Amino acid sequence: MLYHTLKKEFLLILRNQHALIVLFVMPTLFIIIMSLALQNTYANKYDVKLNIGVQSESNASAFGAFMDKLNQNQFFSFRLIENETVIEEALSNKTYDFILSMTPNFMENIVKNEEASIKIISRSDVAYQQVAFLKQFLSLKMAEMVIENFSTVLNLKSATQASFEEKITHTYVLKDNHPTQITSVQHSVPSWLIFSMFFILIPISNTFINEKNFGTIDKLRSMNIPLSGVIIGKFIPYFVMNQLQVFCMLLVGMYILPLLGGDALVIQGSLFLLMLISAVVSIAAISFALSIATISNSSEMATILGGTSNIMLSALGGIMVPKIVMPKLMQEISELSPMSWALDSFLEVIVNAGTFGDIKYALAKLLAFALCFFSLAYLTLKYRRD
Amino acid sequence: MAIHITHLLKRYSKNVVLDHLDLSIKQGSIFGLLGPNGAGKTTLVSILNFLIPKEAGKITILGHDWDKNPKEIKSLCSLVPQSYAFYPTLSAYENLEFFGALHGLKDKDLTRQIHYALEMTALEKYRHKRAESFSGGLKRRLNIAIGLLNNPKILYLDEPTVGIDPQSRHYILNVIKKINQSEGTTIIYTSHYMDEIEYLCDDIAILDHGKIMFHQSKEELMKNDHIATLHLSDDSKKEINLHENYDTLVETFCEIKEKSLHVKELELPKNSLEDLFLSLTKKELRD
Repeated sequence: MLYHTLKKEFLLILRNQHALIVLFVMPTLFIIIMSLALQNTYANKYDVKLNIGVQSESNASAFGAFMDKLNQNQFFSFRLIENETVIEEALSNKTYDFILSMTPNFMENIVKNEEASIKIISRSDVAYQQVAFLKQFLSLKMAEMVIENFSTVLNLKSATQASFEEKITHTYVLKDNHPTQITSVQHSVPSWLIFSMFFILIPISNTFINEKNFGTIDKLRSMNIPLSGVIIGKFIPYFVMNQLQVFCMLLVGMYILPLLGGDALVIQGSLFLLMLISAVVSIAAISFALSIATISNSSEMATILGGTSNIMLSALGGIMVPKIVMPKLMQEISELSPMSWALDSFLEVIVNAGTFGDIKYALAKLLAFALCFFSLAYLTLKYRRD
Repeated sequence: MAIHITHLLKRYSKNVVLDHLDLSIKQGSIFGLLGPNGAGKTTLVSILNFLIPKEAGKITILGHDWDKNPKEIKSLCSLVPQSYAFYPTLSAYENLEFFGALHGLKDKDLTRQIHYALEMTALEKYRHKRAESFSGGLKRRLNIAIGLLNNPKILYLDEPTVGIDPQSRHYILNVIKKINQSEGTTIIYTSHYMDEIEYLCDDIAILDHGKIMFHQSKEELMKNDHIATLHLSDDSKKEINLHENYDTLVETFCEIKEKSLHVKELELPKNSLEDLFLSLTKKELRD
């Protein structure tokens, strides 16, 4: 009986093209797009520099040296612009991201510790983090100029920013203190994988609602099949589909993304733990999907109810917006999302080579979530009559 | 008896759907259950098939107590719901294979029963076509085929001819007769179509307001289709047989005249099931 139940359910899934697109094509595209888009987040490479126009009435030769110093970086590209340039126009046509306007004789005055200031003007769509970073960068360069001047006056060997930078190194390390390299793929793959695993609710609810609407569920209930058999008959095929999703998305991260110019997915931790997490996430996702499917009266209701809750859970859970960029309150709220527990577990294993001890609480929360929603689905199916 | 029901009660909050209903259905018969919308037909069939619980009353099906032996009863019965109880994206064969396996059939038994069901409903040449591509008539036949897989002793057919053309309807009615005659299967048939019930059933009941308003064999029902009733001026009644010869009828009227009575009203026989149905359930619309 189990064989034919599984066969039937697999045939239903494989003949549902929309479900296959949601389960496999959508996450593949998300992973590719988001990995490539966020490629520079963790990498020491910057393809696009912010363009900064500099207006100054300072002595040309002295200022030229300062400009050379400013341009020794990976993040900003400084160019002198005419004083007559219309600032608003230069910003609005996106020639420049920032315009710096310096007081007259800026170089001379800064060395003499006299009145000297820089006014930063930017477009309204520039993130404040970038402004703050630019301010820090400029104050560092100004301090450097002052130190160099003192060194020359006192005949000392001056320290440069480059030499300071050489003294500061950064390494990502694993739990066991092994150095490692972090890539955006390691975040994108689990994020969009979790998102798509929870979208299993679309095919589950479609099958369930069709069974209700077609009278199949009445036929099944009039036969000698326990309700648990009906639910388990659905659970197993969708669990297998979820695991197939995990396998395919890992392959996309490992082999397809490098072909498209992205980084290859590197799994730092244990594959067994990865399988354990994917199994627990799948149980949670299917239980949630079953409860939505049983309480919905139509496919439209299931799609709206399930789709909206999935998007909300993913937005809160750090799938769409990484938790590190959220303010503290939002990070605390984010802890309520099962997708956050799932993502934390995946990242712990994929990025940090975490152990079972590091993920056990997140997995326990996911299992508790699954138990609640599975019970809801079971009781709804048992007692609800449409 | 195939089914014996006593004092069956079912309420949805304060609304009484089955009101201490009593009913017996003979084994091997085709039993037609008629009733307007909301009469309680679907509730009765649902209770008999364990889809909803009853509130009070006793049900015995093929000698098994409904309360104590649901497993035994389920294995002996089969429900063909009004809606299509199959998977549209599966072929006829795949659907039969799945439902047959749920009945516990395996290997050769499963294949044999699938072939039997396909043959009875003349679906052999459509066996590998997906059910979603079927016409209304073919879908109804597949629904019935699924109901035959466990060789049921009682087959519940809930309005199995809704929305199909006259040819398919005629074919399905004959299939049902064939199942009853060849296997001795008791058929419980609910429908709104009086002509189907008249044609098919040998035992007919009309259900309304949760009670059996009428229950007779077709034979008895048809026996009275030529008896007219004369309502006389002294409030007495006299029955006349319209099949009698002319002289006898004249004699009857003379007799009435001799007693100085006259006929107040002539009540013609209820010459169709539909007349009987409307007279029992009244003519107002039901929601």
